[in-house]
Amino acid sequence: MEKLVYSASPHIKAPRTTKHIMIDVCIALLPATIVGIVFFGFDALLVMAISVLSAVLAEFLYKVCFMKKGKSFKEKLKESCTEFDYTSLVTGMLIGMNMPSKVNWYIPILASFFAIIIVKMLFGGTGKNIVNPAIAGRIFVFLSFGIVAANGFAEPIVNGSGDFMNTVTAGATPLATMLMTGTSSVSNLDLFLGNVAGTIGETSALALLVGGIYLVIRKVIDFKWPLIYIAVTGVASVLTMAIIGKTSTVDFGLFLPSILSGGLMLGAIFMATDYTTTPNTTLGNIIYFVALGLITAILRCNNGTEVVSFAIMLMNLTVPLIDKYIVPKPFGYVKPQKTKKEGN
Amino acid sequence: MEKFVQKTFPHGVHFHDNKELSKDQAIEVMPAVGDVFISVSQHIGAPSSPLVKPGDKVVKGQLIADAIGGLGSKVYSSVCGEVVEIVKRKTAPGGMCDHIHIKTDGSDECVTLPALEEKTKDAVLQRIFEAGIVGMGGAGFPTNVKLKPAKPVDTLIINGAECEPYITCDYRLMKEKANEVIQGAKYLALACGINNLVFGIESNKMDCAELFASLGAKVVVLKKKYPQGAEKDLICAVNGRRVPCGGLPMDVGVVVQNIATAYATYEAVELNKPCYERAMTVSGRGIASPKNLLVANGTVYKDILDFCGGYSDDTVKLVSGGPMMGFAFVDTAISTTKTTGSLLALTEKEVNLSLPTPCINCGRCAKACPMSLMPMYIDFYTLAGDYDTAVKYGAMNCFECGSCAYVCPARRQIVQSVRLCKKKLKERKK
Repeated sequence: MEKLVYSASPHIKAPRTTKHIMIDVCIALLPATIVGIVFFGFDALLVMAISVLSAVLAEFLYKVCFMKKGKSFKEKLKESCTEFDYTSLVTGMLIGMNMPSKVNWYIPILASFFAIIIVKMLFGGTGKNIVNPAIAGRIFVFLSFGIVAANGFAEPIVNGSGDFMNTVTAGATPLATMLMTGTSSVSNLDLFLGNVAGTIGETSALALLVGGIYLVIRKVIDFKWPLIYIAVTGVASVLTMAIIGKTSTVDFGLFLPSILSGGLMLGAIFMATDYTTTPNTTLGNIIYFVALGLITAILRCNNGTEVVSFAIMLMNLTVPLIDKYIVPKPFGYVKPQKTKKEGN
Repeated sequence: MEKFVQKTFPHGVHFHDNKELSKDQAIEVMPAVGDVFISVSQHIGAPSSPLVKPGDKVVKGQLIADAIGGLGSKVYSSVCGEVVEIVKRKTAPGGMCDHIHIKTDGSDECVTLPALEEKTKDAVLQRIFEAGIVGMGGAGFPTNVKLKPAKPVDTLIINGAECEPYITCDYRLMKEKANEVIQGAKYLALACGINNLVFGIESNKMDCAELFASLGAKVVVLKKKYPQGAEKDLICAVNGRRVPCGGLPMDVGVVVQNIATAYATYEAVELNKPCYERAMTVSGRGIASPKNLLVANGTVYKDILDFCGGYSDDTVKLVSGGPMMGFAFVDTAISTTKTTGSLLALTEKEVNLSLPTPCINCGRCAKACPMSLMPMYIDFYTLAGDYDTAVKYGAMNCFECGSCAYVCPARRQIVQSVRLCKKKLKERKK
């Protein structure tokens, strides 16, 4: 009798919680992480570990230092543990995957702290951030440190001359080469498997797709949205390249290289589909992902550099606007003037 | 089975229905013993006025409270015994109202209404009112009023969806009393002057659908989905018409009645028996032996739970009604009414007691909402005190089915927010 709970309906709830969803995302990120570590070696593992640990640490530090006033340290820590919903783990993994493997050790830390503290916690924590924290973190360090220019992207170690120390080639990624010259420099198979230069997690389209399929099967994301984003980017890239004169004709041979190279797969499957920064309606999502694809393609081809993260961040900022103006009509909606008609 | 096309409505949620607990239990008569407390407010209109005084002897089927007002309903005694007092007691939704306390004397004397000479439209309609029949699906809207719609109607849908998990009493009624239910439905159609009578039955009750079809009834099989039994969604599934926002089924020419109401109508017209008992389900994993019972109105919940072996120690929630829209109760001294369809004892595994966490904007609630609203924003703006924006996202169109709160991974208490918003707006109008 004393144990009975009195509360409002509904009395039953679906078993799935935010934690389960976030753990699913982590599982889906694992194939690409493992492939990255295989291709880029111990450095990649180190970068991943630093990013993840610093992201989780940042969340705990912020909660213990600035929240829950008037409680003892032990209570604060305990509450932070129960509140921990694995979102910062996902952010940490994504930041690690967005780093080149030869990056300085403090850069992932800065990216993680910026992402968690400035972008997420200061805006109100989980679900309140206006842009995807991982993307903001990536952009922050890329702009601040000019990683691309200074370090270059590591070539996968399996491609090197056997000398593991001699793997840093200050080379451009296949995407940059393609955007400069209008021809693809590496085979589509290498692009698909990830045997190319790039950041740790973005190179292997295959591993990212495996993760994406897992998310679709687990109903964490809807397959339509990444598909729209990738398809629109591919087609628009081909067309833009022809329009601005980088290729003489419309060359659909560039379709596969443009969708397989750069950070598009990683961005489309894991970062653009972030719940908090996507619209909540079907129509809103169509607008969001088509616009995202067009912006990505046009900016990429015009600037000759990778812009997926910038495009996503830009569109993230339009989400509140989309959700404000695209509100679905309720079931049985009737236009105010003809009240007696049936509202089909 | 192929001959049935499963129809449904947009959105909604799928879940395990847990009906196997009580599905195979035949309806059992629960003898009324001890004290019963019959509420004078078992319908949505004004409370009925008691016709008996303390000390009066009453018998089963005797009129003990008369209808007041246009939405009133008559109340009959469900037992034989002596009226002890008229006392204010708690009701399942949480309010207080007068109850007639009758001490049973164990005799089985029974009076009935006079037999109907002619079963004409008006006579049947009058009989439905005389027998005190109300919508037994849960709303308690007087059936005779519902059968006299202000607009022309052409279809009567009998709601056999029973989409709430656990509940099986309508299923058992359909299975055991198929002919009676169909006959009762025909009387309802007659009273309303409708020729087109349709039974909407969910696909998890395929045996009933086939049985009804073989008995010549027009059956529409509905997809197993919640809230398939909600009036608006039922109508949309059965004949594709959409009840306008803020409107009633009669706006699209439809009247909806429940299976139990149809059966009560049969009893009132053919057997001259007023409405004083009903079939109900006692279920949940906390109940020792889940059952379907025929219970006299006014029976105390505790007696019913004890009759089914009581509830176990790991029960954390007792619910009157379905788990999606029913009311939790702690005090087992509450008594049943014409609209009590089930009692559930749910264990910790079945209910979720976790506290709300921040919304992650996943949009699952919007995908589940049968009214195509945006529950996440209703919740957000209501809690922020901005009720006007909450209304923009559809707060007033919500019928509180709970689909959004069911699917929410962040465990947001969205239905509570909607109720709060509605209440605040009501207060503001005053």
